[in-house]
Amino acid sequence: MSSNPTPSSGGPGSVDPSAARRNSKRPKYSKFTQQELPACKPILTPGWVISAFLLVSVVFIPIGVASLFASRDVVEIVDRYDDVCMNGTKSDRIKYIQGSGDKTCTRTLTWTVVMPYKPHSHHHFIGLCVSSTFQHFPFLSFPFVSLYVKSRSDAQLRYKKKESEVSACKPEDMVDGKPIVPCGLIAWSLFNDTYSFAIRNQNITVNKKDISWESDRDHKFGKDVYPKNFQKGSLIGGAHLNESVPLSQQEDLIVWMRTAALPTFRKLYGRIEQDLQANDVITVTLQNNYNTYSFNGKKMLVLSTTSWIGGKNDFLGIAYLTVGGFCFFLAVLFTLIYLVKPRRLGDPSYLSWNRNPGGR
Amino acid sequence: MAGWNSHGSRLSSNSSFSSTPRTVTLGRVQPQPPSTRTIHCNDSDANALTRFAEVSNFVQPNGILIRLTWSSQGNSVSTTKYNFFTFLPKGLFEQFRRVANLYFLMISILSCTPISPVSPLTNVAPLTIVLIVSLVKEAFEDWKRFQNDLAINNSLVDVLQGQRWESIPWKKLQVGDIVRVKQNGLFPADLLFLASTNPDGVCYIETSNLDGETNLKIRKALEKTWDYVTPEKAAEFKGEVQCEQPNNSLYTFTGNLIIQKQTLPLTPNQILLRGCSLRNTEYIVGAVVYTGHESKVMMNAMNVPSKRSTLERKLDKLILILFAVLFTMCLIGSIGSGVFINRKYFYLGLEGKVNDSQFDPSNRFVVFILTMFTLITLFSTVIPISLYVSIEGIKFLQSIKFINNDLNMYHAETNTPALARTSNLNEELGQVEYVFTDKTGTLTRNLMEFFKCSIGGVSYGTGITEIERGVAERTGVKLPEDRRSANAIREKGFNFDDVRLMNGAWKNEPNPDMCKEFFRCLAVCHTVLPEGDDSPEKIIYQAASPDEEALVTAAKNFGFFFYRRTPTTIYVRESHVEKMGKIDDVCYEILNVLEFNSTRKRQSVVCRFPDGRLVLYCKGADTVIYERLGEGNGDLKKTTREHLELFGAAGLRTLCLAYKNLSPDMYESWNEKFIQAKSSLRDREKKLDEVAELIEKDLILIGCTAIEDKLQEGVPACIQILSKAGIKIWVLTGDKMETAINIAYACNLINNDMKQFIISSEIDDIREVEEKGDPLEIARVTKEAVKTQLRNCIEEAQQILSTVTGPKLALVIDGKCLMYALDPSLRGMLLNLSLNCSSVVCCRVSPLQKAQVTSMVKKGAKKITLSIGDGANDVSMIQAAHVGVGISGLEGMQAVMASDFAIAQFRFLTDLLLVHGRLSYIRICKVVTYFFYKNLTFTLTQFWFILQAGFSGQRYYDDWFQACYNVLFTSLPVVMLGLFDKDVNASLSKRYPQLYVEGLRNVFFKWRVVAGWTLFSVYQSLIVFFFVTRCGTSPQTSAGKMFGLWDISTMAFTCLVITVNLRLLLCCNNITKWHHISVWGSIMAWFLFIFGYSGFMTKSDRQENVYFIIFILMSTPFFYLMLVLVPVAALVGDFLYQGLQRWFFPYDYQIIQEMHHHEPDVNVRAQYVEVETRMTPEEARTFALAQLPSQRSKHTGFAFDSPAYESFFAAQAGVHAPQKPWDVVRRASMVKRAKPTK
Repeated sequence: MSSNPTPSSGGPGSVDPSAARRNSKRPKYSKFTQQELPACKPILTPGWVISAFLLVSVVFIPIGVASLFASRDVVEIVDRYDDVCMNGTKSDRIKYIQGSGDKTCTRTLTWTVVMPYKPHSHHHFIGLCVSSTFQHFPFLSFPFVSLYVKSRSDAQLRYKKKESEVSACKPEDMVDGKPIVPCGLIAWSLFNDTYSFAIRNQNITVNKKDISWESDRDHKFGKDVYPKNFQKGSLIGGAHLNESVPLSQQEDLIVWMRTAALPTFRKLYGRIEQDLQANDVITVTLQNNYNTYSFNGKKMLVLSTTSWIGGKNDFLGIAYLTVGGFCFFLAVLFTLIYLVKPRRLGDPSYLSWNRNPGGR
Repeated sequence: MAGWNSHGSRLSSNSSFSSTPRTVTLGRVQPQPPSTRTIHCNDSDANALTRFAEVSNFVQPNGILIRLTWSSQGNSVSTTKYNFFTFLPKGLFEQFRRVANLYFLMISILSCTPISPVSPLTNVAPLTIVLIVSLVKEAFEDWKRFQNDLAINNSLVDVLQGQRWESIPWKKLQVGDIVRVKQNGLFPADLLFLASTNPDGVCYIETSNLDGETNLKIRKALEKTWDYVTPEKAAEFKGEVQCEQPNNSLYTFTGNLIIQKQTLPLTPNQILLRGCSLRNTEYIVGAVVYTGHESKVMMNAMNVPSKRSTLERKLDKLILILFAVLFTMCLIGSIGSGVFINRKYFYLGLEGKVNDSQFDPSNRFVVFILTMFTLITLFSTVIPISLYVSIEGIKFLQSIKFINNDLNMYHAETNTPALARTSNLNEELGQVEYVFTDKTGTLTRNLMEFFKCSIGGVSYGTGITEIERGVAERTGVKLPEDRRSANAIREKGFNFDDVRLMNGAWKNEPNPDMCKEFFRCLAVCHTVLPEGDDSPEKIIYQAASPDEEALVTAAKNFGFFFYRRTPTTIYVRESHVEKMGKIDDVCYEILNVLEFNSTRKRQSVVCRFPDGRLVLYCKGADTVIYERLGEGNGDLKKTTREHLELFGAAGLRTLCLAYKNLSPDMYESWNEKFIQAKSSLRDREKKLDEVAELIEKDLILIGCTAIEDKLQEGVPACIQILSKAGIKIWVLTGDKMETAINIAYACNLINNDMKQFIISSEIDDIREVEEKGDPLEIARVTKEAVKTQLRNCIEEAQQILSTVTGPKLALVIDGKCLMYALDPSLRGMLLNLSLNCSSVVCCRVSPLQKAQVTSMVKKGAKKITLSIGDGANDVSMIQAAHVGVGISGLEGMQAVMASDFAIAQFRFLTDLLLVHGRLSYIRICKVVTYFFYKNLTFTLTQFWFILQAGFSGQRYYDDWFQACYNVLFTSLPVVMLGLFDKDVNASLSKRYPQLYVEGLRNVFFKWRVVAGWTLFSVYQSLIVFFFVTRCGTSPQTSAGKMFGLWDISTMAFTCLVITVNLRLLLCCNNITKWHHISVWGSIMAWFLFIFGYSGFMTKSDRQENVYFIIFILMSTPFFYLMLVLVPVAALVGDFLYQGLQRWFFPYDYQIIQEMHHHEPDVNVRAQYVEVETRMTPEEARTFALAQLPSQRSKHTGFAFDSPAYESFFAAQAGVHAPQKPWDVVRRASMVKRAKPTK
C-alpha cells in the first residue's frame, strides 16, 4: 500500500522532482500510516440497539419454545432410593452397607405416559442410573477433587504393555507388588448398584450395550487389556470386574471413567427397549451396594425418554426464552425511552463544554 | 552498554597511575585521578612503557586488587550490550527484572512441582514465548549495533609507518600515532591537530555528528607544528602531550604540547574530535590523543534514563490489585480445601496412610498451605503475562508507523518528519496538562533579521514587527501598510529599510564617524566564517549563531563587506569612504579574540588597523556593556537605553556595541597577561575572563542593534487550540520580561481578558538594596518582597476564583524572583498560585531554573508535564518533564538528542498531542482494561469450578487451552485494537480540542472503569460457567449418553473464546478489515486447534482427556444451542450498558461521532497532500485573531511601545508614568488596581 504515489511527492517548485523525491524524508503516504484505513464505524444509535434486541428475541424465543417443547416431551421419573432402602441412623447404615448382608431393595414406579418404543426412532426408553450427589462438590455431595480425577492411568487402560504405569494411581496402584488393572481411585470406586426391572411380573431386558461414547470404547480402552488384581486390596471400593472381558467391552467402567463435571451427575446405566404403557407399574429390584451414606450422598434412579435435545432439560429452553424475552422487553423499553426522552443524534448541546460553559 | 563501557573507562580514569607517585593510606581516602597523562607522539615504544607504568597494581583500602589499563582496546569501540557468551545470562537477567516475568518464572517453577494441578507447560509456554520474543528483539538490535561497530572499527585510516602513509583499520590505531585524514573523512579518534594543507594551519570541521550543528567550525594548529604535512617531515615529529584524563566535555580541553623542550599550551582549537568530519581542506595530519572509549564522543554516549509513562505506573497498581484478587481466590479455595477434606469421602482413598499430604485430613494446615500453592499456579492466568509485551509492541508500532510517518507533522521546508525517539510515552502524550516551552527557536523562528538599530542616539529602521502589528490589530489601530522604499534590500538575515543609512547615505547623518565605527564593529567583531566567492551576492556566512550572521550581513549591506578571514586577519571591503564609489579592501589584523560565553555575555576583538591604530571592539548585552562604559556622554547613554527599551518592547533582540582605542604600551602589557592566562593548564577559562576584564573597560558606546526574531508559523493558532484542550502553557525564557510578555501576547498566551499577576524583582525596594550591594541583605529583602508579592497575588487569585465567571489568570515572574520563590518555604505558595493560572511566563530564567520549575509542577501538581525546546539550554528541562519534545530546528541537536519526541515545528504539537497522544491514550487504556477483563473472566470460570470441585485445585480446562488462551486465541485482536481503534479522525480531534480533556481527566482508565469491567467479567464468567455446566449434566443424545468434565469444559472454553473476542468488537469505535481478520481469525484458530488437538492421540496421557471431544460435542444439538445462547446471554449486559451509556451519558467523542457520522472520512487527507502547509502565517494570524473574544471596546493594559498609548493610559489611571525599564511592571500593576473600580 505504500506504493501509492502521492499527488505532490515532488514537492512544489522543485527543479528535479526525482532528485527531490530521493532526498526527501517526507513519509510515504499510505492509508495505514496515516491511520485512514477504511473502516466501518458502528454507532450504537437507538435504532441499532432496538433492532439488535429485537433480532435476538426473534431468534431466541422460537428456539426456546422448541427446546422447551422437546424437553417437555421427555418423560422422566426420578426415584431416590438410598434413604428408603435402608433404615436407621447414619452409622447403622454405613455399617450395614459395608457388611455382607443382603442389600436387595424393591421399588415400584408408576409410568404415567404412553411412550411406545420404536426401534428406529429417537424415542428410546432408557434406564438411567443416577447416583446423584456424587463425583463433584457442592457441599455434601460427591466432589471430584483433583486427587480423584487424576487417579487413573490412561496409558494402562489403552495398552497392554503399559500395565505397570501406575504412578498416578496411588493409593490404588499396586497390590502385593503387582499393578492393578485398571488402577486408580476412579476405577476402584466403580459404582456397583444393580437394577432389574419388571412389569406385571415380567422381566424387562436392559440393553447395556452402547451406553458409552464410541471413541472411548475404540481408542481409550484397550481390546487386549483385561482387568487384573482388581479389588484385591484390603479395602473394596466398588464393583468387581469380570477378568475375562477386555476393558473395551466393560461399558460400565468406561461410562464411570468419564468423570462428570459437577458433583451432582447422572450416568447412563442402560436402555429399556420396549413399550411401556400408561400407568404401567414398574417394579425395580435393586442391589443397594454403593456406599453414599458416609458422605451423605444421595442415589436416585431415573427413568427417562429422550428427544432430539437428549434428556429432560428445561433449563435450556428457559434460558433461551428468558434471554429472548428479556431482549424483547429491552427493545420495548428502549423504544419507550426513545419516545419519552428523545436525544437528537449529534446534538452539540450535549458536549461537556457546552453543558457547563461557566466551568473552568 | 555504552553506559557500562563508559563506566569502565571512568574506572580507569578514576584511578591509579600518574607521574606523581602516591602513597595509599588506609582509611576512607579515595584515590584521586591524576590530573594529567602523558602521551608520546609518534613513539609507540615510549607509549607502551608509559602504559605499563600506569598499569600499576593498585590495592584499594579494602584490599581488593585492581588492575588498570588505559586504552587496552586500542581504538576499537563496542556499543553492543551483549557478546556471544553474555547474551543469554545478561539478556535473561534484564528480562527478569520485570516483575511480571519474575512472577511467571516463579509460577513456572511452582508448576514443575508435584503440587501443581496443571502441567508446567501451561505456564512455561507463555513465558517462553514472551521471553523469546523479547530476546529476539534484543538480539536483533544488538546485532545491528554490532554490525555498525564492525563497520566503524574496520574503516581505514592513513597512519604514518616509517616514512609513508599506510592504511590500517581504525581499531588498530594507538595513542600517539600520527594519522592523516582526507577531505570529508571522519576523524577516527580524538586528534591533536598538527598540520593541514591549508595555509596558516587551519582546517574546517563539521560537528553535526556531535551536536547536529551543520555550520563549519575553524580549527587552527599551533604554529610550531604547521610544517609536519608530508610523511617525511611528520616522521621527524617527536612530541609529548600532557593532557587531562579522558572526560566527556566536548568543548573543553586543556593540555600542553612539549616539543623541542618548549611547552606550548593546547586549547580545544587544536583538538579534532572523533565523529567530526573534515571539510574544505585537502587533508590534515594529527596525533592520536584519546582512542576508542576514551574519546570524548564515546564518553558522552550514555544511556538516557528511560522514562515510564504514568499510565504504566498505574498499570502496576492494577497488577497489584490483581495479585490481591489472586490471593483472595486462593485463600478462599485453600480454606475451603482445609475444611472440606475428610475421610468420609471414602472414594478418595484416604482411609489408610495418605501419601499425598495435600489431602491428608489429619493435618489440615498442611492441606491449606499446599492447596494455596496449587491454586496460585492454577489461577496464575489472572495476571496477564503477555500484557507488557503486547503494549510494548503496540506502542512501538504506533511510534514508528504513525508518529514518524504522519504527513501532518512533516515539515517540507526543512525536510523533517516527526520522530518518536522513544516508544514508552505515547499515551502520556494524551494526558499532558502542562506544556513548558522555550521561546527562542520554539515559539519564534530563530531566524534573525537585522531590523532596526540606534547609532549615536539616533534610531534607524522603519519596519514594524509582527508583534507590534498583532497588538495593533488586536487593539483596533490601523497600522500603515509596510511601505518599503524601492531600493530596499531584503535578504536572509537582513530586513532593514531606512533611506538615511542605505547606499552610503549615512555620511549625511549627524555623526557619520559614529556610523563608521558602528559598521566596522559589525564587520570585525564576530566569529563568522565566509565561504564561497568573495562577491557580496554569492558569499555564504557560516556563523555559530544566527544573530552574528545577521549582523555581518547587515554590515555588508551598509557597505562594509567582510569577505575573507585568516586566523590573524579579517578583510573588509569598505565602500564608504570620502568619495562615492571608491572601494577599499582593508585588512584588519586581529590580535586577540575575547570570546563570548554566557557569563561574560559579550565578545570583543582587539584589532590593528592598517595604519597601526589599535582598537578594541565589543558587543554584548546592554547590562554588561553599560557597566563597562567610560565616564561622560550621559545623553547618548540615556537615549540609547530608551531605544533599547523600545526595541525590547517590540520583541526585538538587542545588542550594544562599543569600542575603545588602545595605546600600544598598554596593549603590550595586557597581552602578556593574556598569553599567560591562555597557556595555563588549570582554570584557564576563569583566568581568561579575569584578564578580559582588565581591558574591557572605559568603553565608548556606539549604539545598539535590534534583530527581529520571527514567530514560528502557526504558533498563535496552536496555542489557542492547546489552551482550548485544557492544556496550560508556560513559557520559560531567558529573555527580558518585556520581550517575554510581548511574545506571550503575540502568541495568544496572554490576552487582555486575563488577570495578570506580575512578580518582578524590578521593584524599588530591591533596587535600593541592590545599589548598596550587600548580598545577604539583597537576598533577605528580595525574599521578603517575593513573599509579599506572592501572598497578595494568591489572595487576589482566590477572590477571583471564588466568583463563577471570573477572568482567567496569568502569571509573569522573572528569574530572580523565581530563584527565591523556588525556595522550599515559598514553593508551596508559588505552586498554589501558578496552578490556578492558565498561562505562566517565566523570564530571565537559567536552564537550571527551567528544570526546577518543570519538576516543581511535575511533583507538586502531580499532572503530566511536557517540555518543548530546541536548544542546549532546554536539555535539562526536557529531561525533567514527563515528556520531552525537541524541535529539530536550526540551533543544534542537543535538545533533540535529549528528547523523547522530535518535531520540526511548535505547531505540530497539536497533532502530536491531540491526535497521536489522544488516540494512543485511548487505545492503551482499552488494551489494558481489555486484557484485564479477558484474563479475569477466564480465571473466574476456573474459580467457579473450584468451588464445585472440593476446592481441590482440579483444573477445569485442558493445559493447552490454558497455555494458548493468552497467546493464540485472544492476543491478536487486542493488538489490532491498540493499533487501529479510532474514535474520531485527526481533523476532528483538532477541530474539537476539548476532546482532549477526556484524557486529562483520565476518563478511560479510572478505577470506576476498571470496576465496570470487573463487574461484567464476573457476570460473563458466571454465565459461561453455569449455563454450560447446568445444561451439560443431562443426557445429550437421543441415546442418552452423558458428557464428562472435559466435554463440558471444552464447550465452556469455546463459548469463552467467542464471547471474549466478540466483546472486543463491541468496544471498537471503528472496525477495519484487520479487526475482522483478527477476531474471526482467533475464533477460527481455536476451532482449528481443537480439531487438530482432539483429533489425534499421543502417548501423553494428559491429552487423552480431550480425545475426540470436539467431534462428540459437535454431534449434539447441545453444542450449537450453547454456541448461540452463551455468548449472546453473556454480552447482553455489556450491550445494554453501552446502549444506555451512549443514550444518557454520552462521552464527548460519541457526540462528535454522531455529528460527523455521515461525513466521508476519506479525501480529507488529499487536501493536505496537495497543499503543503494548511495556513500561511497570515492566515493563521487572521484565524487566531478571529478566535479571540472581541476586546475592542475594552482598554488594553499593554501598549507595546508607543508613547501615545503610554500617556493615554497614564492619564486614565491618573498616574504620571515616566518611561523606565520597569514600566511594564508598573503598567501591569496599574491594570490590577484599575480593575475593581469598574
